[in-house]
Amino acid sequence: MDSNSLKKALLLMLLIVTVALVSWEIRLRKIGVRPTFDTGKVLWSDKRAMVYEPQDKATVFIGSSRIHFDLDIPTWQTITGNKVVQLGIDGSSPMPVLNNLADDPDFKGNLIVDITEGLFFSTSPFNMEEPNNGINYYKDRTYAQRASFVINKALESRLVFLDKENFSMNAYLAELRLKNRPKVFEMPIWPWQFSGISFENQAIMYPVFVNDTNLQIKVRNIWAMFAKMEEKDIPMHGKQLDSFVNVVKVSVDKIKARGGNVFFTRTPSSGPYLMGELKGFPRDKYYERILASTGCQGMHFQDYAITKNMQCPEWSHLDQAQAIIFTKELIRVLREEKGWKL
Amino acid sequence: MIFNSYTFVVFFIIVMILHNLPFSWKTKKINLLIASYIFYAAWNPVFILLLWLSTIIDFYVGKALYVQDDKRKKKILLVVSLIGNLCMLIFFKYGTFLLDNFVTLVNAIGLDFHPAKPNIILPAGISFYTFTTLCYTIDMYKKESAPVKSLLDFSLFVTFFPHLVAGPIVRPPQLVPQFENERKASQDQIIQGLFLLSLGLFMKVVLADSMLSVAANTVFNSNQPLASLDAWMGVLAFSGQIFFDFAGYSTCAIGVAACLGFALPQNFLYPYAAIGFSDFWRRWHITLSAWLRDYLYIPLGGNRNGKWKTYRNLMITMLLGGLWHGANWTFVAWGGLHGFYLWVEKAILDARKETSKPSFIPKFILAMATFFLVNVTWVFFRAGTFTQAGSILQSMFGMMPNGNAILTTLTIWKVGLIVVGMVLAQWLMRNKLVLQVIPKLSWWAFGSIWAVMLLLLIWSQESGSSFIYFQF
Repeated sequence: MDSNSLKKALLLMLLIVTVALVSWEIRLRKIGVRPTFDTGKVLWSDKRAMVYEPQDKATVFIGSSRIHFDLDIPTWQTITGNKVVQLGIDGSSPMPVLNNLADDPDFKGNLIVDITEGLFFSTSPFNMEEPNNGINYYKDRTYAQRASFVINKALESRLVFLDKENFSMNAYLAELRLKNRPKVFEMPIWPWQFSGISFENQAIMYPVFVNDTNLQIKVRNIWAMFAKMEEKDIPMHGKQLDSFVNVVKVSVDKIKARGGNVFFTRTPSSGPYLMGELKGFPRDKYYERILASTGCQGMHFQDYAITKNMQCPEWSHLDQAQAIIFTKELIRVLREEKGWKL
Repeated sequence: MIFNSYTFVVFFIIVMILHNLPFSWKTKKINLLIASYIFYAAWNPVFILLLWLSTIIDFYVGKALYVQDDKRKKKILLVVSLIGNLCMLIFFKYGTFLLDNFVTLVNAIGLDFHPAKPNIILPAGISFYTFTTLCYTIDMYKKESAPVKSLLDFSLFVTFFPHLVAGPIVRPPQLVPQFENERKASQDQIIQGLFLLSLGLFMKVVLADSMLSVAANTVFNSNQPLASLDAWMGVLAFSGQIFFDFAGYSTCAIGVAACLGFALPQNFLYPYAAIGFSDFWRRWHITLSAWLRDYLYIPLGGNRNGKWKTYRNLMITMLLGGLWHGANWTFVAWGGLHGFYLWVEKAILDARKETSKPSFIPKFILAMATFFLVNVTWVFFRAGTFTQAGSILQSMFGMMPNGNAILTTLTIWKVGLIVVGMVLAQWLMRNKLVLQVIPKLSWWAFGSIWAVMLLLLIWSQESGSSFIYFQF
């Protein structure tokens, strides 16, 4: 191929790529997609590195997806002037992160641990995988990876098509939903309208999801599917629970011994999901036991008039309007009832 | 730093700009050297010291070896260089492995010895740059090429960022002469280089990471008996993954070097179209195969001392080649199995020579038989233990009657289509190079194919995962 043809090929390639990307970006924006960050080990590690701020400057949150949705970070930061370090990981146990912070001699800050019983009182390796990936990535991340993160932030905050979970090639292929052989598990697909992630690592329900019952039913069905899968699993009890509670206590004690504060929350759930959780993990035997054993204070959403009747659109997470209310109540409880200086 | 990262894109743009500014050739080489150190330090700056140590020892020892006529002193110098290089490699790569085996051995003879587990981090690319510097020293010892005149050129030869971390393993005569006179890529070379970079990234990011890694990881990370279909799909997926990952890296390296005006040797030539195992090793990781042939197999005697010693030398070469890939007996088994295949192939070829009977089997069938047997070896390469390798092999060959189905239909389709496409494409291209095929395309077809590759690369959104061969 002569030089002229090579140049023409290069220009054609650039033209096709540019036109395709611009068209794709415009189309996604037209249907209401907003810039979002991939929640995963890279964003998580960036936040993990921020836990060393003094107590009057930052509070660290760990837990599962509920704290990810239910804590409205701008609200917290505006009212308290205290920075949020959000380390909640969707669909995972916070135990690896709690242990990791406990074993970090430099962590002496405020820590709020959110309890979603099915995930917190679990030793399933599946529920530990993402937190362990995040911790390992944080320990091993290179200067090149940190630099890539900075560039990625600039791109992801501007381009909506950069959303691996919802708009990557594999996400589109997954929507084919080919019939599987019996017993083969395939991850369900959450509608993209369910949530986006802010750079501060807050999950925010899209308004279209809050207003669309069909989409909410879709997500409720996913929770129902998971609940059915877990039906045969008996929640930990007896000696296994004793030993688990002891592990939590040991970690909490390590943080407290260094001058850190640990506080537990139980963020809202509703409908059949809440009923199932209360049945499987009675509050007195699980949540209260953690508070009693660790000597920590906590806030259970059912104890407060403002939060006890909160209705999660898909039974498990708050929309942003309710997240703001929940966050304000949490700050009030911490300041007025628990004596936290925020 | 890895090619499939945003950091590399920025780094490469800066390097290209600097390389095309009107600086003197020496300044440009210094720029490339500094860039190469930054490329390496962006992973872990401390290990730059090892790179320097290796460079300095081999540069001065190499020079001394070349001018030294006293055989005894020459041998001492060679040993100094070998010890310097191999000790680093053995400590960092095989330290834990050797200690574990020593502990197993002494415990087996009844001694109660349980030392603390050492926490040794493997410096990226150490196997590659050690082999690069070793061949220089050995060449100097044998006076096979002239010593590199300047430390700058030698440092750049060892450290040149496109090949530093995962090859191709370059020999001094392949690269050093290119540093002697000013090199600047023409516009055509830059376009072709950028195309090769895109192709390499497409192979790595789209095919290896996005399409095949899930199946391979799911199968090799599951500790349960598997259905035959799942075991095969996992192994085939790994077969494709490792090819696209490593050949993708080499293609990127060649493309990046071309954009700067340098030529690196070809490292892959459609290995899954190989007819037999000697052909496979002429097509897979070509620069390592050539290194092992020239610096291990031939010095051991090669095929010069009769049939049985040839077999022995083949096996030693393949076992050590296996161990080069990783500190685990499973890698040794992988190499051993390839050595065995080479034995059988040699025996068949020798027998055929005696009877002068040509093969009646169509070449494509022979290539598929080779591919089948190569897949069996990948089980040992990917499995962490022999127990796991055994379990997967049993599943593959239907010896696990109640094996579990774990792969989704979509995953099976992905693996099936990509592996079949890969094998057919390699068969059709087996005697051609990509850059030889491009001129036969019209400019619009070439531009469109390039665009589709780039769009799929962007669409896959899989940036940032490391190349498999970095761990070797």
